[in-house]
Amino acid sequence: MPGWQKLYSELKSKNFEIISIAEDTGGVKDAGPAITTAKPEYTVLIDDQHLVTRLYDMVNVPTGVWINEQGRIVRPNEVAYVDNRFKGMHGVDAAPYLEAIRDWVDKGDKSTFAISEGEMRARLKPQNPDHSLAAAEFALGEYLYATGRGRDAIPHFKEAQRLNPESWNYKRQAWALSSAEKDYGTTFGQEVKKLNGKPYYTPRTLPNEVKKSDEKKN
Amino acid sequence: MLRTSAMAAVLCLIGATASLARTGGARTVIYEGVATELAASSEPSSDLWVTLKDLTRATKFVVKPQGVCRDESCFPLPKDRKSQFVMKKGKVTWFNLSEFAKLIKQPTTFDEQNSVWYFGPRPEQQNAFLTSLEAPEFTLPDINGKKHSLSDFRGKKVLLVTWASW
Repeated sequence: MPGWQKLYSELKSKNFEIISIAEDTGGVKDAGPAITTAKPEYTVLIDDQHLVTRLYDMVNVPTGVWINEQGRIVRPNEVAYVDNRFKGMHGVDAAPYLEAIRDWVDKGDKSTFAISEGEMRARLKPQNPDHSLAAAEFALGEYLYATGRGRDAIPHFKEAQRLNPESWNYKRQAWALSSAEKDYGTTFGQEVKKLNGKPYYTPRTLPNEVKKSDEKKN
Repeated sequence: MLRTSAMAAVLCLIGATASLARTGGARTVIYEGVATELAASSEPSSDLWVTLKDLTRATKFVVKPQGVCRDESCFPLPKDRKSQFVMKKGKVTWFNLSEFAKLIKQPTTFDEQNSVWYFGPRPEQQNAFLTSLEAPEFTLPDINGKKHSLSDFRGKKVLLVTWASW
C-alpha cells in the first residue's frame, strides 16, 4: 500500500484515482488491519464475495485494470506489482508498469499503453462456462463460510478449484480460510513448483517490454 | 445436569433441522448475491420448486402469460414442456426455479446438506462488457461500511487494482 500511496500522491492532481479492492472472504476482519496500518488516501474497498474476481475474470492478486474517463477499459487484466518485494519469486520488475501508468495519466487514450477498442475486442474473451460454474461454487462456499459452516464450504471451494484450475484466487483464498495442507493436501509453494515456471498470474505485456526483448534477440 | 439436558435438547434440535433439510425443509436461495430464506416445498424433489410469491421475493421474476418476466425482459417457457416449469397443487402454484435456470443458462450449484442453492449471472450478463467495453459496474463498502460504486468515478482515469490479506 505505501507504494500505491506514493504514486497516488504524485498523480492525484491529474484527474487520476486508484480504487484498491481487497479480495477477502473474511471481509474487514482479514483485510482491515492492513488498511488501518497504511491509512491510504485513495479508495480501498472490501470485496468479501470475490465479486470483482468474477466480473473481470481475474485469476490472482494483484491484478490491475485501467479504466478511462468514459468508463471504458483501456488495459485489461494484468499483474500489477507496485514494488519489487516479491520479485525474487516472480521475476517481474514493477518500474515499467508505474512508468506506463504515468504515461497514460499524461496522454490519456493517446498513450501507447492505452489499448484501442479494436484490439481490446480481440483480446477479451467470453467467460469459459466452467469458470462461470467455478465462480458459483466458490460463492456458495463463501456463503457457507460466512454463515458459520466453514467445513461445509471446503467441498465447494475444491470444486471451484477443479473447474477453474487457473484461478489462484480460488486456491489461495480457500487455503487461507482453513489449512492448505490438512484440508487440501497441498501448499502454495508446492503448487507453484508444479507449474514449472509458467506464470501464476495474468502476464504483463507492455509495448516497451516487447521491444526490449526484441532488441535482445537482434 | 441441567446443562446436560439443555445440551441434549440443542443436539436434538440440530438433528431435527438437518433431517428436515434432507426431506424438503426450508431452503436458502442466493440470487444475484442476495440470500433469501424460502418455505419448504410441497414434496421432496431434486429440483427447486418454489411458490410464485417466493419466486418474486427471491429473484424479482414474475410468471406472466407471455413468459417469466423481470423488468422489460421476458423468457418464454417452452410450450411442449410447460409442466416441467409450472405445477398447480391445490390452491398453490409452484415454479421450478432450477429448471428455469437451466433454460436461461445460469450457472447453478447446490449444497444438499444445508439446502442452499446458488444462481450465478447468465452468460449474456457476465459477458456484456465484451461488446460495450465498459468496465463492469460494482458497488462495494470501504472499511467503514460506506458504499462506493465504480460509476461514481466517471470522468476520471481509474486504476483498479486488487490485493488480499492471503
